[in-house]
Amino acid sequence: MDIDRQQTDILVLGSGGAGLFAALHAYQADSSLDITIATKGLLGKCGCTRMVQGGYNVALHAGDSVERHFMDTIEGGKWLPDQKLAWRLCETAVERVRELENEIGCFFDRNPDGSLHGKAFAGQTFDRTVHKGDLTGIEIINRLMEQVWALPVNRLEEHRAIALIPATGGEAIAGVLFIDIRTGRFRLVTAKAVLLATGGGPTMYRYHTPSGDKSMDGLAMALTAGLRLRDMEMVQFHPTGLLAGHDTRMTGTVLEEGLRGAGGYLLNGDGTRFMTDADPLAERATRDIVSRAIYDEMRAGRTTGNGGVHLQMHHLGAEDVAKRFKGMVERCADCGFDLAGGLVEVVPTAHYLMGGVVCGLDTATALAGLYVAGEDAGGVHGANRLGGNGVANSTVFGGIAGEVMAQAVGKDKAHRAVDEGCVERAMVAALKPVGEASGDLNGLRERLLDLMWDDVGVIRDGDGLRRAAEALDELGAELMQTGLGQSDLRFNLTWHDWLNLESQISVSKAITQSALQRENSRGAHYREDFAAEGDYATSRYTVVYDADGMIAVGDEAVEFSIVSPGESLIEADSSAA
Amino acid sequence: MTKPLKVSIWRGGADGDYQSFEVPAKANQTVLDVVTWVQRHADATLAYRFACRVGMCGSCAMMVNGEPRWTCRSHVSSVIRDGQLKLAPLANLPVIRDLTVDMTPFFDKWQRAEARFHPSMTRRDEVPAIKPDTAARKAADAAVECINCGVCYAACDTVRWNSNYLGPAALNRAWTLVNDERDAGTRQRLAAVSGTGGCYNCHSHQSCQAYCPKALNPTRSIAGLKRAGLAAKP
Repeated sequence: MDIDRQQTDILVLGSGGAGLFAALHAYQADSSLDITIATKGLLGKCGCTRMVQGGYNVALHAGDSVERHFMDTIEGGKWLPDQKLAWRLCETAVERVRELENEIGCFFDRNPDGSLHGKAFAGQTFDRTVHKGDLTGIEIINRLMEQVWALPVNRLEEHRAIALIPATGGEAIAGVLFIDIRTGRFRLVTAKAVLLATGGGPTMYRYHTPSGDKSMDGLAMALTAGLRLRDMEMVQFHPTGLLAGHDTRMTGTVLEEGLRGAGGYLLNGDGTRFMTDADPLAERATRDIVSRAIYDEMRAGRTTGNGGVHLQMHHLGAEDVAKRFKGMVERCADCGFDLAGGLVEVVPTAHYLMGGVVCGLDTATALAGLYVAGEDAGGVHGANRLGGNGVANSTVFGGIAGEVMAQAVGKDKAHRAVDEGCVERAMVAALKPVGEASGDLNGLRERLLDLMWDDVGVIRDGDGLRRAAEALDELGAELMQTGLGQSDLRFNLTWHDWLNLESQISVSKAITQSALQRENSRGAHYREDFAAEGDYATSRYTVVYDADGMIAVGDEAVEFSIVSPGESLIEADSSAA
Repeated sequence: MTKPLKVSIWRGGADGDYQSFEVPAKANQTVLDVVTWVQRHADATLAYRFACRVGMCGSCAMMVNGEPRWTCRSHVSSVIRDGQLKLAPLANLPVIRDLTVDMTPFFDKWQRAEARFHPSMTRRDEVPAIKPDTAARKAADAAVECINCGVCYAACDTVRWNSNYLGPAALNRAWTLVNDERDAGTRQRLAAVSGTGGCYNCHSHQSCQAYCPKALNPTRSIAGLKRAGLAAKP
């Protein structure tokens, strides 16, 4: 088959916080290396780091400590995090924020005396979230991409990775197969080291927040390559996504947490405030509690016109709200809604996937030469992610991966021999829909969104999960029978919609099987048929992998390598007895 | 029932042409939703670009009834004229296909303008204390929230007449850096933006600030650069 080929030393997949930091640090570690960064959209412009509103958790302020940040992360993660990874996150975040400010050029908000401002964020015992207004991600990514554009790094923009290609023998990675979206041609890039940093993003749910280009391609490729994924049942839902009907891409996008924090009310379809019955903190309760309460109202049919609930702010004074939440008010106004003075329909929305590829402290995976960072990696967040730990995770481990890869490649000079059979099979698979009679691809996508929302969503049970597992198999089979009906593959978004669905269905299966495996309700995962949290001391985390086309699932004991349930690294908090 | 929207969309490359579609009108509908409907229901081969859906990534800009717009946050009702939408790729950049353009020249100029931070400290140093209310810091903050969508670049007459001109976005970013007390690159930056294709080409037509979806004012930033450039002359 006709294919373009090129070679590089280090290949980075993704251009969010993880990918850009990896390229930068690899170059800083060894500028003689040939480095290539490949991304599904435009460099730094696709993906989710740019969409970070809240900020960056870091123990930089007087009175805070890495120990305290670590304990908040472990407790927020309901004792499931890989503690060594979580420690490295908290420890390295300090240096990374200094690097972002002093070397990359980010400017985070200051206190009047000029010191860094730290804002309060849910689930944390210290106001440590460094931010740039409520558009922190734009500042971080814009500054990073300026630095990376200046480097002699090869850019493959609008290149979609479709397969991790092993070396002959299968023990190591030899390269990655792409589709050049603009030309529709295949490109094989062979590399001595590859970083998987495509970002997760649970876009297979009816309502979702991540960037619309995302479709879990990284994790789907990891599954195909035989890698083990952990904590895949842990999908974080944000309680207030904008709801504007199924026909607009606006639906699902986040209305920020601060609106509830400031005193916003949630009203059901009858106009009744329901959070006061659900939790003593009412609307200020944590994301998972508010999401479940809204979902309960939806199941009971007490909904607004589009099937959600209302967010009301005007009792706080419309003018004040317009001033305090300028960005949110303007965004709603652009979409035709009056957030400050009226009511805006909202719905819980899938936000972040805590699960990902099992990896070591150095970001290495079980496949030699393949590294992973950011939302594609699992273990840092456990059962739930603290707001502000997402961008910390991607930038910390992306940077580490860059350094580790540069060192590994420096020692190992040779490219590995490509398993050409694997390349051929991946191309044939990607071309499956081309030339086949066209089918209702959009209807299939709609059914996947509803299926995951209804049966693998905010509230789960065994019956629903088993039903979903069966339906996902059927959707997967149906996708294989659904063609494109035409053949110009240049910038063909519909071909990529097909490939997106293939990735999404594959990862949906992993989420569903992991959710079946976890017979308790921990963090973001809630099972109505197993509502108890379970004993922390005997905590286990789920692991899934692809065994000859079937998802195999198991679980492993959490290793309390630094601190055990009941203990704390903060002296005053030690209440073990 | 509301009448369908009459939409004509640029198809093909630089030598392409418009194609007409009828798209169902909805209460909640952005221009991005219109092209998405066409791709999903009318012509599966329509090429367009988008990512975040909420005005943060600056990927989806195009010409809407002759004016550059971010399409994810342009409600149809705010841009439609006589029930019609005419959609074309962003002006002043090479067309790839249909509604997509190659933004490489835009970002290359960003680099030519030295519009990136030149550090004076390292990750081993503490984050410096910088008061947020100094004049310089306020000037930097006022201009920094650019999403590099290319709308100003497409709106700029000077870019259209002079393909060498660095353009409003790159110069605007350069100005934020001139006002950043941590930055160590001002001398070379002022040289870069004062030369051929630099800030003195700007005729202050102010289209950049008229169309910036983030309500930034690159014209003001460029005026600042012009003054700083003159002041720095030996």
